[in-house]
Amino acid sequence: MPTQSTEFDVIVCGAGHAGIEAALAAARLGAKTLVLSGNIDTMGQMSCNPAIGGVAKGHIVREIDALGGEMAVAADVTGIQFRLLNASKGPAVQSPRVQCDKKAYQFRMKHTLELQANLQIFQATVTGLIYAKGKVIGCKTNLDIEFRAKTIVITTGTFLKALMHIGQNKNEGGRMGDHNAKTLSNSFLEAGIELERLKTGTPPRLLGRSIDFSQMQEQKGDDDPTLFGFYDTRGEEELFHVEQFGERRLGWKPGTEQVSCWITYTSPESQRIVTNNLEKSAMYSGEISGTGPRYCPSIEDKYVRFKDRERHTLYLEPEGRNTNEYYINGLSTSLPYDVQNDLIHSIEGLEKAQILRPAYAVEYDFAPPTQLLPSLESRKIENLYFAGQINGTSGYEEAAGQGLIAGVNAARKARGESPLILKRHEGYIGVMIDDLVTKGTKEPYRMFTSRAEHRLLFNHSSAELRLLHHLDLVDLVPPDRLRRIKEKLKHIEYWQNWLEQNTTAGGSWGDLIRRSNPTKELPDDFQNVPDPIKNEVLLRIAYRGYLERERKQIKRLSEIEDIQLPKDINYLNIKGLKKESALKLAETTPFTLGQASRISGVNPSDIGILLVLLKKGNLG
Amino acid sequence: MINSDTIVGLATPSFESAIALIRASGPEISALATDILGSCPLPRQAQHDNYKDLQGQLLDDVLFCFFKGPHSYTGEDILEISCHGNPFIAQKIIDDLLSRGCQMAEPGEFTRRAFLNGKMDLSQAEAVMDLIRARSDRALEAANRQLRGALGKRITLLVDKLLQVVAGIEAYIDFPDEDLPPEDQKQHIDSISSVAEETDKLLATSHYGNIVRDGVRTILIGEPNAGKSSLLNQIVGYNRAIVSPEPGTTRDFLEERFMLGPHCIRFLDTAGLRSEAQSIEKLGIEKTVEQSADADIFLLILDSTQPPPPLPDPIKNRMTLQNTILVCNKNDLAELKEIPREFSQFTLLKTSALDGSGITELQEAIISLVESGRTVIGEDLIAISARHAHALSEVSQCLLNAQKKLASQEPLELVASDLRSSLDNLGQITGRIDNEQMLDKLFASFCIGK
Repeated sequence: MPTQSTEFDVIVCGAGHAGIEAALAAARLGAKTLVLSGNIDTMGQMSCNPAIGGVAKGHIVREIDALGGEMAVAADVTGIQFRLLNASKGPAVQSPRVQCDKKAYQFRMKHTLELQANLQIFQATVTGLIYAKGKVIGCKTNLDIEFRAKTIVITTGTFLKALMHIGQNKNEGGRMGDHNAKTLSNSFLEAGIELERLKTGTPPRLLGRSIDFSQMQEQKGDDDPTLFGFYDTRGEEELFHVEQFGERRLGWKPGTEQVSCWITYTSPESQRIVTNNLEKSAMYSGEISGTGPRYCPSIEDKYVRFKDRERHTLYLEPEGRNTNEYYINGLSTSLPYDVQNDLIHSIEGLEKAQILRPAYAVEYDFAPPTQLLPSLESRKIENLYFAGQINGTSGYEEAAGQGLIAGVNAARKARGESPLILKRHEGYIGVMIDDLVTKGTKEPYRMFTSRAEHRLLFNHSSAELRLLHHLDLVDLVPPDRLRRIKEKLKHIEYWQNWLEQNTTAGGSWGDLIRRSNPTKELPDDFQNVPDPIKNEVLLRIAYRGYLERERKQIKRLSEIEDIQLPKDINYLNIKGLKKESALKLAETTPFTLGQASRISGVNPSDIGILLVLLKKGNLG
Repeated sequence: MINSDTIVGLATPSFESAIALIRASGPEISALATDILGSCPLPRQAQHDNYKDLQGQLLDDVLFCFFKGPHSYTGEDILEISCHGNPFIAQKIIDDLLSRGCQMAEPGEFTRRAFLNGKMDLSQAEAVMDLIRARSDRALEAANRQLRGALGKRITLLVDKLLQVVAGIEAYIDFPDEDLPPEDQKQHIDSISSVAEETDKLLATSHYGNIVRDGVRTILIGEPNAGKSSLLNQIVGYNRAIVSPEPGTTRDFLEERFMLGPHCIRFLDTAGLRSEAQSIEKLGIEKTVEQSADADIFLLILDSTQPPPPLPDPIKNRMTLQNTILVCNKNDLAELKEIPREFSQFTLLKTSALDGSGITELQEAIISLVESGRTVIGEDLIAISARHAHALSEVSQCLLNAQKKLASQEPLELVASDLRSSLDNLGQITGRIDNEQMLDKLFASFCIGK
């Protein structure tokens, strides 16, 4: 088999949301990078809903932008409807969400990769990995061309042994119209990497002109759109559209000319159709073995588990400006096509709707993420990294967040540098990766704000500030932007102190803000400060007590958090450890005492014993 | 309020001894000392002073000793308080320090801090950890015993209810665009207050509460005029002086409880038992039967001058060798002719409430029964239970805060923050409560699925 002579620093297998960020991050750090995709026309494809962001997910997108990733800008530029979710709740849980023009998003991503220095794109399906002495050294492809690299990032999404179901109908493939990866799974098993099955699904797509929107409720975007990118610390030169080929020029201004989504409901007839045809559903007839997500149940699940609900809400979301295709959010199913058709026609406004693509369920192999280090490198095979749905996650944002970290760490490893690891108290990406590598997942893992014990610190607009110290160490953003972020932080701290220290009638301005949130009475100089700074200052002051409490907790935990545990501890031989704890520790093999302390069943005196033994040098 | 990094714990075992030593360590010890004493004592100099609690009540006459870090056991600032060696007083002082913002020390936490600050030789630390290990295993065993029992069931129920409340709130935070029923503040408030009510009930009946507030329940049974009350006066009167933390402030306590050795004993005097009872006395007898149901120790008082009375079956059935003392009173007047066969197995003591003979022996017999096992109130149980009680009162406080915030329309994420910290506190009793448990409830209750 011919081997391409050049050795890469990093090869990324897959060009979905995880692969894109991995490839861009590695290349932007200066690593010689190759991204392989089975079909480069589908790079950055949104396989499911045409939206990016949402509660907790939107936070991740902003963190990606803070770390120099691409998802935020691409979503802003190709967004066609912008909404800030939880606007009526507190600032920590508000989160931007945007409907994107699917094709525009994809084209822009592909074009971004094409223009990226140090990055080579090649269309080929990876069929296997090449190992030597416990390390990965390259990969094989369906074109019988082999590639060599110092590190490899696997971002194959749902494509491993993927099987799609529509009722009894089965098709191989990770996404309708695409192929699957049949042999790569074996390559993992060979190396001792365990695989399990998961399942997910997607609803039908409808032809817009066959929909009667007059019977539906309109959902408009926000007049004042909230964007994902931090444009106050970055120039607008990065906002471009691919219609202006070769030149980076702004098409329409992000947030303008928004389009609407539409809301409708299932009918009693819909319920009758689903419940009468349950046995025809792939999921209910025992065709599917993988576990599906609880937060995204099929319509079958909804009717079975919530029998008394009169109706279910459905959202019709446009797939783009230049297409008449609509995504029907809330109607994921694996019922046969004819039942899907009846079901659609039983819904108000969809009586005459035409299905362009039927709904289907897909099951696929994933590699339980407890087999990974916090850097996302495999514990079993050195230099091999995993990111995205292969790790058991769900969602474009979750995938992109992991992809970015895996890409950075693969590039750094190729150079012999230490990995970038975000902490649980620094942001959602940190929480996600710690959850995955410590606890693993039984269903496709999606981020919720409730997973983050310190979420009050994680308002979406503070992502750059929270992650700033990493930007100092890893060159993820250009020096000019780094300088602007630092200036922004200084500016914020200046006003924070000023308002706490200077008084007005009845106490400091800070007290006044905490009491009554008076935006109009504040000093003029402060009123004139740019919004991103002003809002952060107000939040820090209004939540001061809470933020201090969170920081204290973090400090209390931090004394043990970073203490490393050697890899080969035999926990079962440690005298004094409770047996239950020893078993749990042996099963999880934590990397740090902090991680060990988060394992359920391990108590403080166990940690005390480990600490003493560590100091004595008796561990490992 | 002082920093939560400041921990407090009892450094001596909680048995009766000359002194008990309470140790607090952390970054804000000098603020704590100033809070209690008005100024921080000079380092390494014993200062004799009154210990007054937050409400200004005198708890004990104590010695304060302040150690300035790094020249201390843990390497941090330390305040040591030596009080009279009565576990009850020590507990009161610890409770007060907790309410001033200290955190109950985890097992081994002082040692861990000492270790981290380089204050302890390695083998030394290991030895100390071994000791703590052994002790906390015993404590854990004790806790598990409790948790398997009725208390455990109620705490599990409480966790369950609280998880449901948290899931209800979290659903509105994480799934704003979903198919949720319209947000109902009143319903949130109602469900939080129902959990708060349960917590307070549980707090009131927790084992710690019982022991500290009620003591070992000792029931006096016998015929009227058998001399129960004068016997009680003899025992209590003899001990009254060492009981009082502050005369006049805790009348109930003075009337019902006193310290016998290291143990807090609560005497329940009962209506006399008479064989041919009139209807009014029947009520009294029923009451006695009822009270005997949760008695820890039975003192069966016989009148040496009278034949022994018949006992109602429910009482007789509860009396065993391990929990009963047979007391023949009025020993100065006569010798009891014969002991009925049914009582012959019990420890027998002869006393005279009139001249005080046999009282010391009776006290010793009670102590030995308490310590013989069935009514364990040793160090571990108290320590574990104090932790439970502390955790529960934190839960109660957090729930109150959450209710207030809901009522004043503060952001839901802040309400959730209080609710989460109440869950964390319950987790200290039941073991860490994972977010997955909350998500299980959430997805079971709400149809999420856009």
